[in-house]
Amino acid sequence: MKILVVEDDKTVGEYVRRGLDEAGYHAELVGDGDEGLRLATGGHFDLLVLDLRLPKLSGIDVLRTLRDRGNGLPVLVLTAQDAVDFKVQALRMGADDYVTKPFAFEELLARVEALGRRPKAITPPVLKVADLALDTGSRAVTRGGRAIELTPKEYAVLEYLMRHQGRVMSRTLITEYAWDYHFDPGTNIVDVVITRLRKKIDHGREPKLIHTVRGVGYVVRP
Amino acid sequence: MQSIRGRLTLWYSAALILSLAVFAIVLYLARRSASYQDLDRRIQSEADLTAGILAESYRARGVLVEPDTAGRSVLIPEVAAVLEVVPDFLLLTSRDGRLLFASPDARALTFAEFEQLSGLVAQTPPGRVPEKHHIFPNGPTLHYVIRAIPQAGGQFGTLFAGADTRSAELGLQQLVSTIIVAFVIGLVPAVLVGRWLAGRALEPVDRMITEVREITDGRTLHRRLAVPMVKDEMGRLAETLNQMMSRLERSFAALRRFTADASHELKTPLTVVRAGVERAITRPDVPQETLAALEETLQEVNRMTELLDSLLTLARADEGRAELHRDPVDLRAIVTEAGETGELLADHAGVAIEIRTPPEPVVLAVDRSRVRQLVLNLIENAVKYTPRGGNVSVQLGGNGGKVLLTVADSGIGIAPGDLPHIFDRFWRADSARTRTGARPGAGLGLAISKWIAEAHGGTIEVQSRPGRGTTFTVTFLRGDA
Repeated sequence: MKILVVEDDKTVGEYVRRGLDEAGYHAELVGDGDEGLRLATGGHFDLLVLDLRLPKLSGIDVLRTLRDRGNGLPVLVLTAQDAVDFKVQALRMGADDYVTKPFAFEELLARVEALGRRPKAITPPVLKVADLALDTGSRAVTRGGRAIELTPKEYAVLEYLMRHQGRVMSRTLITEYAWDYHFDPGTNIVDVVITRLRKKIDHGREPKLIHTVRGVGYVVRP
Repeated sequence: MQSIRGRLTLWYSAALILSLAVFAIVLYLARRSASYQDLDRRIQSEADLTAGILAESYRARGVLVEPDTAGRSVLIPEVAAVLEVVPDFLLLTSRDGRLLFASPDARALTFAEFEQLSGLVAQTPPGRVPEKHHIFPNGPTLHYVIRAIPQAGGQFGTLFAGADTRSAELGLQQLVSTIIVAFVIGLVPAVLVGRWLAGRALEPVDRMITEVREITDGRTLHRRLAVPMVKDEMGRLAETLNQMMSRLERSFAALRRFTADASHELKTPLTVVRAGVERAITRPDVPQETLAALEETLQEVNRMTELLDSLLTLARADEGRAELHRDPVDLRAIVTEAGETGELLADHAGVAIEIRTPPEPVVLAVDRSRVRQLVLNLIENAVKYTPRGGNVSVQLGGNGGKVLLTVADSGIGIAPGDLPHIFDRFWRADSARTRTGARPGAGLGLAISKWIAEAHGGTIEVQSRPGRGTTFTVTFLRGDA
């Protein structure tokens, strides 16, 4: 899938482009609205990631022109403005979704995936670590064939860790994914969820799957 | 007096009373002077008349004084009868000073008073100018003249003609009562008319007050006052106010631009920092110390992002531009979801938590993410300030046209002096309120919560007793939200 990234800030744009490349997409970066509009109408891309503030032609104008020409290319808007009215304006102009800066790349990726209707084969519906299995479709979790009941937050945390199995995920990243709300860093709500997950998943079983990395976060690995 | 109108009326009335009083006093004094002149003329003419009668009688009869049976000189009865009809006080003495005649008014005096009067007649030499004498202790005050009667053949000593000043005062008293009545009758409508005039003159000011009051925030700041055609004081005031509002509007526009620019200019570098940290932290084979440092950086980036978002939200709220994205939502879902998080927080803090929602749906058109933020704010706050072993209770309930959400804790409470400030921006109670270990927040959480409640047409209230606990109550109206 080919993605066009229109972003005037080189560092941000480059980060998005590389991140998308690493995730298996084909991404190209341009720095202004004119160029962006020209490439987007060329028909070579499957998705447009569009910053709203651009030199020459603003993101809103690019979007409006695109839709006026009857172009239905999926558009994901990047905005620094947090106010609802800007998002609403962008959505009314025909944007398909938006991400507010500063964004977690995970979030951007999730939205790109949703918009691109990426083939299911790339994200396996069932995540597995040793004898622990998590079905992202039915949200069912089993270990050694036995069903495990999880609350919504427990499920979200476990899914995130299993998606990135073998990699240390920091508390902040986990919190962001599962809550989308900034807690006081002193609360360490993730620790509580992990304690409960351990009781349900690792208690009385070997091998232990959830590991603590002191001062950082957690990792799931066999 | 609270209003200019009242003060104007007061001043106007005072000026009116003063000028009326001066007028009345001048009138009274003039009238009094004229009245006494009349009195003096009267006694002069009475004296002239009596002298004329005596002179006439002398020419006709010659002898006017004759001895009575006891040998005392008296006025002959024919002349006495004529003099009887002369009004006021009339006394006539013989050449040797004996009293020959006294008029009925004089005879009506008491003996002591009459003695004083005859003593006065005996002692005073004749003169043409009227004199004044008061008969003690309670007798009348008299204006009088005493004169000789040369045309009567030298049979008489002096002639006394006098009149009671009361006859002059009588008219003056009537005048005073007339003035008082006129004063009262005239003043009341004058004050009312003055009040009406003041009100009319100040009406443009009242209109301006109403118009200015309607300009409440950034959304109405483009309005201007109607400037009257006449460039009088009111016209200039309206123009001046309009100029001031133009300057205000420009500053507001500048602030709005700054807000938008700042959000972009600050968020873009934050995005870059975040991106770098995120890339590094999710890379395999990073040493653990580096990961810990990156994790701390990420926390700070998030803290800054949250602070920036809160500031922008409040800045837009001040402008009246922070809009909500409302959809019908069952509040039970939000409370239940936040409740799970609350339960995790409470578990970590060793606090018991109870979440109660009604069995029937509580559907309101609200901004889901904002209300979620509000509920989480309150729960997080309650857990934070409740010591280990305490409890927190979250309850959602409907009450007719209202939806109530209460978050009550058995925590350390808030000092009464602090209560009015807890919704202020950047306000924090003294350090005793923050639990050890937790770094205090930016102090915007409750300010944001208050804005969220009020932007939905609701209210947020707090009750607290130090050492006993705190209860926050959020009220939404079903009609509004």
